[in-house]
Amino acid sequence: MPVSPTPLHSAAALAIDARNVGRVYKAKPNPIVALDGIDLTVRPGELFGLLGPNGAGKTTLIKILTTLLLPSSGTASVFGFDVERQTSQIRRIMNIVSGGEQSGYGLLQVREQLWMFSQFYGLGVREGWRRVDELIDLVGLQEQRVQKVSQLSTGQRQKLNFARGLLNDPWIFFLDEPTLGLDVSAARATRELTLAWQAAVPGRTILLTSHYMAEVDEMCDRLAIVDRGRILAIGTPAELKHRVQSESIFRLELDRLDRGVGALARLPGVISAASVAGNDNGADGERNTILVKLVLVDDGALGPVVSALAGLDAHIVSLQKSEPSLEDVFVELVGRGFEDDLTVHQNGTGLRSAGSRPADEESVAEELAGRSR
Amino acid sequence: MTALAEAGTRWSRQADPESTRRQSIAQVWRGFLTATRLGWQTEANWTNPVVYFLYAVCTPVFATLMLVFMIQVISGGNAPPAYRAYVVIGSGLWSFVVAGIAGLAWAVLDDRERYRMLKYLFVSPNDLLVLLLGRGLARMMVGAMGAIVTLGLGVVVLGLPLDLARIDWPVLVAAMVLGLVSIVALGLILASVAMQTRQDSWHYPEAVSGALFLIVGAVFPLNILPTFAQAFGLISPLTWWLEAVRRALFPDIQSGIGGAGSLYASLAGHDAPSGIEALLALLLTTVVVTLAAVATYRWSEHRAKERGLFDVTTGS
Ligand SMILES: Nc1ncnc2c1ncn2[C@@H]1O[C@H](COP(=O)(O)OP(=O)(O)OP(=O)(O)O)[C@@H](O)[C@H]1O
Ligand SMILES: [Mg+2]
Repeated sequence: MPVSPTPLHSAAALAIDARNVGRVYKAKPNPIVALDGIDLTVRPGELFGLLGPNGAGKTTLIKILTTLLLPSSGTASVFGFDVERQTSQIRRIMNIVSGGEQSGYGLLQVREQLWMFSQFYGLGVREGWRRVDELIDLVGLQEQRVQKVSQLSTGQRQKLNFARGLLNDPWIFFLDEPTLGLDVSAARATRELTLAWQAAVPGRTILLTSHYMAEVDEMCDRLAIVDRGRILAIGTPAELKHRVQSESIFRLELDRLDRGVGALARLPGVISAASVAGNDNGADGERNTILVKLVLVDDGALGPVVSALAGLDAHIVSLQKSEPSLEDVFVELVGRGFEDDLTVHQNGTGLRSAGSRPADEESVAEELAGRSR
Repeated sequence: MTALAEAGTRWSRQADPESTRRQSIAQVWRGFLTATRLGWQTEANWTNPVVYFLYAVCTPVFATLMLVFMIQVISGGNAPPAYRAYVVIGSGLWSFVVAGIAGLAWAVLDDRERYRMLKYLFVSPNDLLVLLLGRGLARMMVGAMGAIVTLGLGVVVLGLPLDLARIDWPVLVAAMVLGLVSIVALGLILASVAMQTRQDSWHYPEAVSGALFLIVGAVFPLNILPTFAQAFGLISPLTWWLEAVRRALFPDIQSGIGGAGSLYASLAGHDAPSGIEALLALLLTTVVVTLAAVATYRWSEHRAKERGLFDVTTGS
């Protein structure tokens, strides 16, 4: 029977307990406030996401929790162990993998490098080899087993790094942008492995950072939206999305609307109706339709609106419910877009939104592929 | 994914922090040995052993031969064999010193700048100090090959008057052990400096060992130096180490420390230290340097943690 991490130490201990953690980097000309009073608790067994733009402080927080960096203020503990004073205990029960880096001892073989770390983690010689071979199979580096680390591709190096991270079977696994720079299938494989590893033994905990919203939305039980060293919101993806939007949004495509969107806006249950200009279809000229973004008090208001359309002599070409995305949450909280190319959403010039598609594995991969160009 | 779950069963128990509040001696030792092996494999370019051997062994041999040849020329062929022995020991052992002093610092720099693994080593359960010592030891073993070959050639080719029956083995062994410790301690101080991310840190070990070469009596006695330089020489354990090794190997060799008009003679009241005296001075200076080195290293590690330097690269 699998052993779950928590009972070994203390059933009550939180996986992460950060209180008012601050971090200032000394820098010229002005000190940089990377973390500005972070309060965060993560329970054992959670897959927790940190979502935020470049420079938000995600890596800084991970460095503090993994005992690489001291906080400037506040306290933090991992499974009840203080990050400043009980570093040796924390180092036994956690591991960290950062994405997008070219790390590794180039002259060593894949197997040798992993074996060395197995020894640094205190596994016996034979146990070490067995574990190394298991993990090589698990991450899919079978064919590179005896290849030199210097000859690995970026994705293969990342797999190697992942295997190293699992060598000590951590209770808590810190993943700092683990899919950065990976192609679609490698990124998907990494996500699947992460989820499978976590699901295999109850209590295994993951803290994941990303600026891929779909990835966080898809994988995490809960997440925090971070910007400029502060946590702006914490909750499950659904909660956060619900928070920005208690109304229902629909995207309505009509063949014609002679009396203008104003007529729609006056219907009962409609909060607002706005025609959406500059749509992708507009250019081809073949489909001469009108796109309307309808905000309703709730889903129930849709029926009367649809009946009323007949009276307006308009026919529905398509109707789609728009789910709010984490992007919407971010824009709402911060008042600006997440990344520059996505601020179009805020300007209201288009309806491009990750949330209008279901966040399934494929769309996550698609989105990631699109952005990593 | 049963493999994942099985692994969990097996390893979670090992990860119990209550039972491993401190690392066992066996685990520390295992980490040290593994780091030594890593050092041996990464330091030496074993893909081309011939080139590597030439580099590791021929460099000190030729450096020593060049010095001996220069002395012959300068003295018009009249240099006494004892002085030749003095130079061969000092110069031959120096490759060992350079390797030791540079080894730990270069391990820090290599791991941070080239392999980008320093942070992963640092957050592994092993004390980074132990891992660095292992890495440094590997480099010293390479340096020791050069030293041994040089000394052997000195005896065979240059006809140094080595009399096996007269070697003072206890002093020799004690001096070598203490010398090793003091060299590693000096290396640790340089590793502490290298940890503080300076682009030019790569050159520090060579600069420092170059400066030491002049003041510790490696190829000429201290008494030709100005008094303040002699004072620095006397507080360096390497000076006493070379003296003790020379005394143990060649009882009749000239002292590198004492002599007419030397600072030592004016302080001690007699001309030159005995073997035991040199050994005691070596012990004392080694203890001081080692304590200073560990303190410096701990301070450096703390400062690196405070500033987040473990994964900062200078691009050097
Ligand atoms: N060693 C350092 N010295 C000075 N400033 C630093 C250092 N490391 C990070 N910073 C600054 O701290 C802030 C937070 O950086 P951090 O790396 O934590 O962000 P992040 O959320 O991980 O960003 P990204 O998504 O780009 O990885 C940034 O403004 C960064 O410039
Ligand atoms: Mg980051």
